[in-house]
Amino acid sequence: MSDTVRIIQLYPNELGITGDRGNARSLQVRLERGGVSAEVHRVSAGEPIPADPDILVFGNGPLSAMRTVIDDLRSRATQLSDFVADGGSLLAVGGSAELLSASVEPLEGAPIEGLGIFPFRVQRTRERKVGYILVDTADGRVIGFEDHASRWSLGNGALPYGTVAAGRGSFEHAGSAGEIVRRDNAFATNVQGPVLPLNPHWTDAILATATSRRGIVWASGASHVPLDEYAGGARSAIERLVHGKDFSSIGL
Amino acid sequence: MMSGAPQARSAGIRYVFPVLAGKLARFATRLRGGGSAFPGYLTNRLAPSLLPTLADQFRYGVVFVLGSNGKTTTTHMISEVLRAHGLTVFTNPTGANLPQGVTSALLADATLTGRIRADVAVLEVDEGYAADLADQLSPTVILSLNVQVDQLYRFYETERVADMMLDASTRASGHVVVNRDDPYLSKIDTSTMRAEVSFFGVSPELVAASAHGLANAVDTRSGNTGTVERDAFAEVTRAHGRDVTVRVGDAEAEITLPARGLHYAADAAAALTVAARVLGEDFSVDRAATGFSRMAPAYGRGEVIPLRRNPAGEQVEFVMFKNAPSLQMNLDALEGAPERALIAIDEGTPDVSWLYDVDFDVLPRVDVVTGEKAYQLALCLEHAGVDIGVVEPDMEKAVALMRALEPAPSGRQTWFVNYELMMIGRKLLGHGDQEVARR
Ligand SMILES: [Zn+2]
Repeated sequence: MSDTVRIIQLYPNELGITGDRGNARSLQVRLERGGVSAEVHRVSAGEPIPADPDILVFGNGPLSAMRTVIDDLRSRATQLSDFVADGGSLLAVGGSAELLSASVEPLEGAPIEGLGIFPFRVQRTRERKVGYILVDTADGRVIGFEDHASRWSLGNGALPYGTVAAGRGSFEHAGSAGEIVRRDNAFATNVQGPVLPLNPHWTDAILATATSRRGIVWASGASHVPLDEYAGGARSAIERLVHGKDFSSIGL
Repeated sequence: MMSGAPQARSAGIRYVFPVLAGKLARFATRLRGGGSAFPGYLTNRLAPSLLPTLADQFRYGVVFVLGSNGKTTTTHMISEVLRAHGLTVFTNPTGANLPQGVTSALLADATLTGRIRADVAVLEVDEGYAADLADQLSPTVILSLNVQVDQLYRFYETERVADMMLDASTRASGHVVVNRDDPYLSKIDTSTMRAEVSFFGVSPELVAASAHGLANAVDTRSGNTGTVERDAFAEVTRAHGRDVTVRVGDAEAEITLPARGLHYAADAAAALTVAARVLGEDFSVDRAATGFSRMAPAYGRGEVIPLRRNPAGEQVEFVMFKNAPSLQMNLDALEGAPERALIAIDEGTPDVSWLYDVDFDVLPRVDVVTGEKAYQLALCLEHAGVDIGVVEPDMEKAVALMRALEPAPSGRQTWFVNYELMMIGRKLLGHGDQEVARR
């Protein structure tokens, strides 16, 4: 096995409408600036996932796109659940996070049975949740943008990752709400933005796990300073705006 | 030349009070410097039948311009081409594309007895309200430019936007015009339309030669993410900077675009299709070219303004974007890397996730990153490997920084801005006049 970290972005065309390649990019850039070589593979339906992946990144897309890829995704169910059980790192945002749950119940049309990698059920709602969101986690505060019309019901064994400090969230948790579900080193979330560039501490936690699993030495350092400074500026701006902002949208 | 035009529905004395009330309200809001929606609302309440009556009076009908990108530019193009054919054109001010804004604009143009003085109305209309407004204004032609990933926080799913355009199109009585290079629009079910459907497009060779094609949204629902083949009534066959050739039916139009970019060329093909359909046999490619030559650049779309109030000195070219496709198409249209660049986004663009979908390869360096979202923008640019001079969220300070730079050898700076910061940037350079009337 090489010392190159292999990042895979799945269904980049169908499930990649919220700048999701930014998450893969963030992982790659932070690895490379720490002297570790990294490659990003974009994998579409029907294409094999390259051997020995380190981090799988899934993005967001409309319900029709979720229906388009679900059969292909099911054909990878064993591979994906083995990957997560082996401690592989995975981040799924929005529509893809919901496909990796137990089921998605839309407002119209047949329910979608998910892969069940994350133990929660999804109910699409008429109410939209749009705006900035702050989630306090063990790895620090996660900041981003939420834009979804869904409610997650957590089943047995589901582990909420953090508590919503501002914003709406996807499920009830600890008297407040949650927006991220964790299983081993896999995360399902409705935080977009994309989330990883804006949250270097979380990105680094994912990278630390993925590199140590492979015995690769990696740490963030001086060349990460501009990335972290800009992220810091963006985060403070959002923290200032989070309470005063109202978004109008056309209802479903 | 206007003989045989349909008679107006009876406007008249019963509209004097509502029109007057609306005009007074409009005058009052103007004095306050406020928005223009209230007068239209008022008049609508006082005389709900006024709006259809006004719309009925345009002898050449009402044209709706819909699309994720290019509505303003294309509305302007259509208007100028029709004017070059001798028509008096009514059009709504830029941005006033919601129902109340359209009503207010119509009202301003009407006489006290509810009579309209123009031959044709060319209206840019927000997709979300297009069907409702069509029920009131009975458009003859509905043009849909493109469906692109845009304002997801507002529209949620791109395919819904496509359906809004296609649904509105069923209401056109004369012609439906759609982009054959758009995956969703190319799949229009022509059998559900009352009107004949015409397609416009860009030649496959030109699309293939463009770094990111035309940046239209992929179709995620039909099983075919791309387009279906359609014959184009008007097709861009050559593009060289601002000079393009568009085949319109059997004729060739040689025109000059208001700004560089294949997206503007596609808009021109759309405008020529609409004009040819509105005018029928009276359409002439030479007059159309005259119309394009009279187009001043719209605010922020290729507009050039002096950097230090000196008309002979260094200039600023404004490049406006509102989403990933428009930013990408403008970047792809650059003739070499800008020598001095500013880029700006503010909270007028709440969710900027899409920034990460843009390829910034042609932009090696940006001198100043500004706007309320400056740091989010800088974060994306840093990930993309773009060299950043200064991050300064305050636009006024950013302009001072740009003015303090060593003059560019080309005598020109390039400012990439979203709509709100384009308006603020123009003002800071001493061009504070509001973008109210299109002409
Ligand atoms: Zn004009």
